[in-house]
Amino acid sequence: MKHDILDLAQCFFYTAADFGKEDAMPEIIAIHSFRGGTGKTNTTANLACLLARKGRRVGVVDTDIQSPGIHVLFNLDPKDAPHTLNDFLWGKCDIGRAVYDVSRILGAEDKEKLFLIPSSIRTGDIARVLHYGYDINLLKEGYQKAIEQFALDYLFIDTHPGLNEETLMSIAVADTLLILLRPDQQDYQGTAVTVEVSRQLEVPRMFLIVNKVPTAFPGDALAAKVTAAYNCDVAGVLPHADEMMALGSSGLFCLMHPNTALGRAMEDILRRITA
Amino acid sequence: MNPGAKKILLAGLAFAVVYGLLNSLSNIFLLPSAPIISMRPQIALPMVVGILVHPLAGFITGFAGNMFGDAVYGFGALKFWNWHIANGLMGWIPGLVGYGGIRRIGTVREFGILQMSLVGASAAGVAAAVVLDVFFIHLLTFPYSFPSWILPAFLTDAVNAFILVPVILLLARRIRLTLETRTILMITGLLLVSILATAGAITWAVLDDLVSHSAMVENFYIAAVVSVLLLVAGFIAAIVFVRKVTDPLADLAQAAQAVEQGNYDLPGLAGVSARADELGRLARIFEQMAGKVREREKTLQRQVDELKIIIDRKKQAQDVSEIVETEYFLALKEKARKFRET
Repeated sequence: MKHDILDLAQCFFYTAADFGKEDAMPEIIAIHSFRGGTGKTNTTANLACLLARKGRRVGVVDTDIQSPGIHVLFNLDPKDAPHTLNDFLWGKCDIGRAVYDVSRILGAEDKEKLFLIPSSIRTGDIARVLHYGYDINLLKEGYQKAIEQFALDYLFIDTHPGLNEETLMSIAVADTLLILLRPDQQDYQGTAVTVEVSRQLEVPRMFLIVNKVPTAFPGDALAAKVTAAYNCDVAGVLPHADEMMALGSSGLFCLMHPNTALGRAMEDILRRITA
Repeated sequence: MNPGAKKILLAGLAFAVVYGLLNSLSNIFLLPSAPIISMRPQIALPMVVGILVHPLAGFITGFAGNMFGDAVYGFGALKFWNWHIANGLMGWIPGLVGYGGIRRIGTVREFGILQMSLVGASAAGVAAAVVLDVFFIHLLTFPYSFPSWILPAFLTDAVNAFILVPVILLLARRIRLTLETRTILMITGLLLVSILATAGAITWAVLDDLVSHSAMVENFYIAAVVSVLLLVAGFIAAIVFVRKVTDPLADLAQAAQAVEQGNYDLPGLAGVSARADELGRLARIFEQMAGKVREREKTLQRQVDELKIIIDRKKQAQDVSEIVETEYFLALKEKARKFRET
């Protein structure tokens, strides 16, 4: 009860703060790839960060329940996050309590811009969700509530690779789906299946992002090839960056190296998907 | 920066006061054998004002300053009015060069234009004074006035300006220290030291030997004229030499920029790479390097062209139907459709 009042007050505060702003519909953006290791989590974190830097209120949900990881990039210690997405899915807590302000990674002046809903890293919690599953309506309600309560402009969903039931749910709730692939024969077939399945799920907007492209590879030509092969728009071609590898998830690339080919390519993607 | 009329007038008049006081002071130190012309390092002042503030401010400083100085010294404010105009022109002309686009001097060409404008302004100022005298004032007599008045006026102004204005502009950070300006400043400095030492030695000899003073005066002017001619010739030679070195560097920089923008045809480099010296070698290596980069880019382009995104359509359809025909998927699709509608 006490928390409900707090939540209501918070909700009221954010609505008041937003009063007079242009009222764009909040958007759920899911980021997916058929295979692991395509750079999904890193791309999600960086795009979310760049948007938050532009003054938008951005949330990120880690729905990769089997192998959560994005909290590392946002520098959120699981010890400081007693409530997670798992707790919400079991009805143990309100979604609002699993939302953590991680804006401090953006810099000292930025406050209440970037929020994270982490997944539990406890093996018991992981096994339990995987065993019992959850309902898409509950998930959608949770997202909706989080968006309203924190006045989010964008909610990014970081997913588990592949096409299991949880992943399909994330695709189904998304307004925009970004599918990552590498210029690698291993990725092509699965991506084709993912694109087709997502079409069948009637995702309103879908883009491909080609990641880890060798530097100096002509991006436009590659994008044209990919567009033709999948009959799907390419939001951007992200060059491989040694700096990103060197970071080893110990920080956010877009904050540390904004003026690199990769940083600029990410900005281009944002322009395209938020247009 | 385009100062308003008020600012130009105020700056011009303020510096005119300084210039006038310096003029009346320096009249104490007259040049040997020149009855009225003094050693005038302060000529740099109207010129610098003209360059840094506005040509008109330079004119005001020169014109009003000379008038003020004459009045203070006791010549009378209007007696030598033609020389007021001469001083005004000397402040105005170098400013025109500065005002015409050389905001900061960074190349040999710009530095050359500056120095020539200083010598030119001195010549133009003195010429204007002489012409006005011939038509209106009739104080000068020819040929007597030439060595005693006209020539010393030009020499002292031109040499002082040539030395002092670049020093002041350097302090005011209006000369960027590039490879070009460093080199030309150094060569100009060496040139000045050697020529002025020679001229100074001759002058000292003239001053020391009072008996043969008048006899030596003629030699002194020959030495002075030769010095200035040497200075100008040396300066021009220095400019040509420095540009021979720095122009290829500019071409190389331009070529590097072209490569950076993905343009590997470098016709601008042909002149440099034909040179037999070190710069020519650098240009040739650069051309080879650009060729290699071009080749590598072509290879990458070819790799993309050859890149095949092979998708087994049959397997794709099979995999897709395996997913979308499950009950789970159909229910999910229905639910998704529902909440998209709301």
